[in-house]
Amino acid sequence: MKLLRRTLIATAALVALGAQAAATVGQPAPDFTLKDTSGKTVRLSDFKGKHVVLEWTNPGCPFVRKHYDSGNMPATQKEATGKGVVWLSINSTEKASSDYLEPAKLIAWKQERKSAPTAVLMDEEGTVGKSYGARTTPHLYIVNPQGLLVYAGGIDSIPSARPADIEKATNYVKVGLAEALAGKPISTATTAPYGCSIKYKS
Amino acid sequence: MVTTPYVRAELLAHAPQGVAPGQPLWLGLSITHQPEWHTYWKNPGDSGLPTDLAWTLPAGLDAGEIAWPLPKKIPIGTLANYGYEGTVLLPVPVTVASTFAPGPLAKDATIKLRASWLVCRKECIPEEGEFTLQLPIQSTTALNGAAFEAAAKAQPQPVLAGTNGIVPDSQAQIADGNLLNVSVQGLPVALRGRALDLFPETAEVIDNAASWKQSWNGSVWTAQIPLSAQRSASPSLMPVVLAEQSPAHATGPDTRTGYRAELKVLGAWPQVASVASVSPALEAALKANAAQASGAAAPAMGSGASSLTLTAALLGALLGGLILNLMPCVFPVLAIKVVGFTQHAQDRRAHRVSGIAYTAGVVLSFIALGALMLGLRAAGEAIGWGFQLQSPAVVASLAALFTLIALNLAGVFEFGHFLPSSVASLQARHPVADSFLTGVLAVAVASPCTAPFMGASMGLTATLPAPQALAMFAALGLGLALPYLAASFVPAVARALPRPGAWMDTFRKLMAFPMLATVVWLVWVLGQQSGIDGAGALLILLVGLSLVVWALSLAGRARMWMATVSLATMALLVWAFVPHITHVPTSQGATQASSASGWQPWAPGAAEQIVATGRPVFVDFTAAWCVTCQYNKKTTLADADVLADLQAKNVALLRADWTRRDPAITAALTQLGRSGVPVYVFYRPGKPPVVLTEVLSVDEVRATIAQL
Repeated sequence: MKLLRRTLIATAALVALGAQAAATVGQPAPDFTLKDTSGKTVRLSDFKGKHVVLEWTNPGCPFVRKHYDSGNMPATQKEATGKGVVWLSINSTEKASSDYLEPAKLIAWKQERKSAPTAVLMDEEGTVGKSYGARTTPHLYIVNPQGLLVYAGGIDSIPSARPADIEKATNYVKVGLAEALAGKPISTATTAPYGCSIKYKS
Repeated sequence: MVTTPYVRAELLAHAPQGVAPGQPLWLGLSITHQPEWHTYWKNPGDSGLPTDLAWTLPAGLDAGEIAWPLPKKIPIGTLANYGYEGTVLLPVPVTVASTFAPGPLAKDATIKLRASWLVCRKECIPEEGEFTLQLPIQSTTALNGAAFEAAAKAQPQPVLAGTNGIVPDSQAQIADGNLLNVSVQGLPVALRGRALDLFPETAEVIDNAASWKQSWNGSVWTAQIPLSAQRSASPSLMPVVLAEQSPAHATGPDTRTGYRAELKVLGAWPQVASVASVSPALEAALKANAAQASGAAAPAMGSGASSLTLTAALLGALLGGLILNLMPCVFPVLAIKVVGFTQHAQDRRAHRVSGIAYTAGVVLSFIALGALMLGLRAAGEAIGWGFQLQSPAVVASLAALFTLIALNLAGVFEFGHFLPSSVASLQARHPVADSFLTGVLAVAVASPCTAPFMGASMGLTATLPAPQALAMFAALGLGLALPYLAASFVPAVARALPRPGAWMDTFRKLMAFPMLATVVWLVWVLGQQSGIDGAGALLILLVGLSLVVWALSLAGRARMWMATVSLATMALLVWAFVPHITHVPTSQGATQASSASGWQPWAPGAAEQIVATGRPVFVDFTAAWCVTCQYNKKTTLADADVLADLQAKNVALLRADWTRRDPAITAALTQLGRSGVPVYVFYRPGKPPVVLTEVLSVDEVRATIAQL
């Protein structure tokens, strides 16, 4: 009986540890080191003191294309970086996936759409994506200057692939950043992300 | 029919009796997927979108919701989806109204459907199709009867009722903040002992891809399901579908049967910590401050509590304490203080000592209350300031206390007869101790009033480290004691007081009436909590209590007899009536009352759901025991102009009644940075919510509505 109880406790502890691994709003955002499309090393902790947006992306996904071809994502990025916010676009698509783009092609695709994030990062191994519990493309996160995760969820409030819905939707990242920059807590801190599954390396 | 490289989609109909009122009519979209491709269930899981059907039907025909067949769990690496492979028919029931009147020459009803679906393998393709069908009105359409029959069979069935005809409760208990302990009753015997799949109809709650433990305990199926670390839904009722586990990508006919259970969620959803971000500019300023005051402790990282905001909060607490002096439930005590005060009008030193003692009494009581709140917070209690009035037993005890005070003021008995002589003489002979006790009493009486005014400060306190929280409570107490302290030190204030005289006794007796009025209010509050039976029971107990007090105040033989009789009566009354008071009726009496006049009862997530449809929402967080709430409700919120404005903007009105303890409302208040009521919030589509001031003015509400 005692042995059974111990086993249960140990299992519970392991489960708790496992659950801790995924990033949670209100908790410190997991730090990471990734290479950007030009091969330069970028660390999240380099940006302490600034708000950082993490955007999971994959040009092969129609939901990502909805927000890039319509100009919505580039405009949101531009507005954010204009206010001193750091914007990191992260691609966690595995190399074996048909959606995978070489760094040069990826940055070219972004530039064609006038997207200007602070950096576009390559996460082919998927470790960073998994540590944040990123599920979809797009999936967005905001990290505050103290390094705490303050937003996790979708780009906006209408889950669809129709560009016509963008105008009617609430852009959660825009609203969240405006609140965070004004020193207020983010009113909608977790929302449902929507889009394609991230093509993680299995 | 629409054919794409990934699916073949077709609009089907089933109308065995033609299209006529009262006769069955089903429409449906049949999707045949290419191997490995899938579309999604109503909750798509970690990614994807549910298939969406938009109908254009002749007048008199009304399409219902999709009757979703049992889905499959489709794992994709570390993620999981819920959806359909192979061929699926998504049936929709259509009601034909008696007003359905096709022209005399019409042979067919034209059915139009615009469907959009997301089809995925690993990659995802959003697709759309437009379908038209001419449905014969008079003749039978039953070609696809078999397909619809199969779809009906694939419908999850409700779990079975017990022998008494009642469906036993199935539950989801929130445990450790990251697990749901699910227990489901009423599953068929054939499933017992088998491993089941669980499909939550509510998206964004559980960790879809996690593996979890399940077991059978007799007829009850239990499972421990991890919550999603980024959960964005907090339902109070979680419908789930259970079915026997099938291997992923199983081929062949699906023989599973799904069973639907509505899980009652028990326990409070873990709070998502709302982090107040410090803007980079402010942080820079704070850093500069910290650098200047080198050696001073740096502000705690991430708590957002800089020395700046702490000072402001302390000042706010002081101000709040000052205002407390003006509150109706403190005023009678102030009156008692004035009586005691004038007794020392000639002695300035005694005066000051008394002022300091009173201040000490108030401040220490506040700190004790703060420590209690911190202790409860540490114990994980979901509490808010003013919480004590949510317990019927506490309300009843307070009513008894105020009745005793009223009887004492009215002269029915004197405390000297009643209390042990040592305590009585302590009060009489030591004015300092007396002042100290008055201070303690002032705090005890003030606690119901602090909620409205100090909501914001208390909300801040609840998230502060312990020493700062205690400082806040001390500042609040100091504010309450300040007028008395000032009067004791500045003779001008003391001289302005009336001279002692015979009027004092009259005044004291007069003060019994505000006390009795307070009792009436408490009885009303209890009525909201325990119903008319509870309020009646409290009143009879108060009568019994008065009888006991009166009997004890008699002298000689009469006292002995009357005391014995009255105590026996009281014991009987307590035995008979206390259960009525503590019994909280299960029917939501208070909530029902508020659903009148356009107000809907609040539920977790209700405001967000309505806002998502583009409609603004106004939420009134209120409680029967909150005087400010009731005042606002009867004045500003009943104002004709305000109501007209709200209607003009089509604002949905929700009322969250916190009269009884409700962890969901406590959690919602915490999210708004408050721990007490009233709180008035406008939720606006596409914008952050606006929290209004506690003492609502018509102008403020109308100005906010105008900005919607």
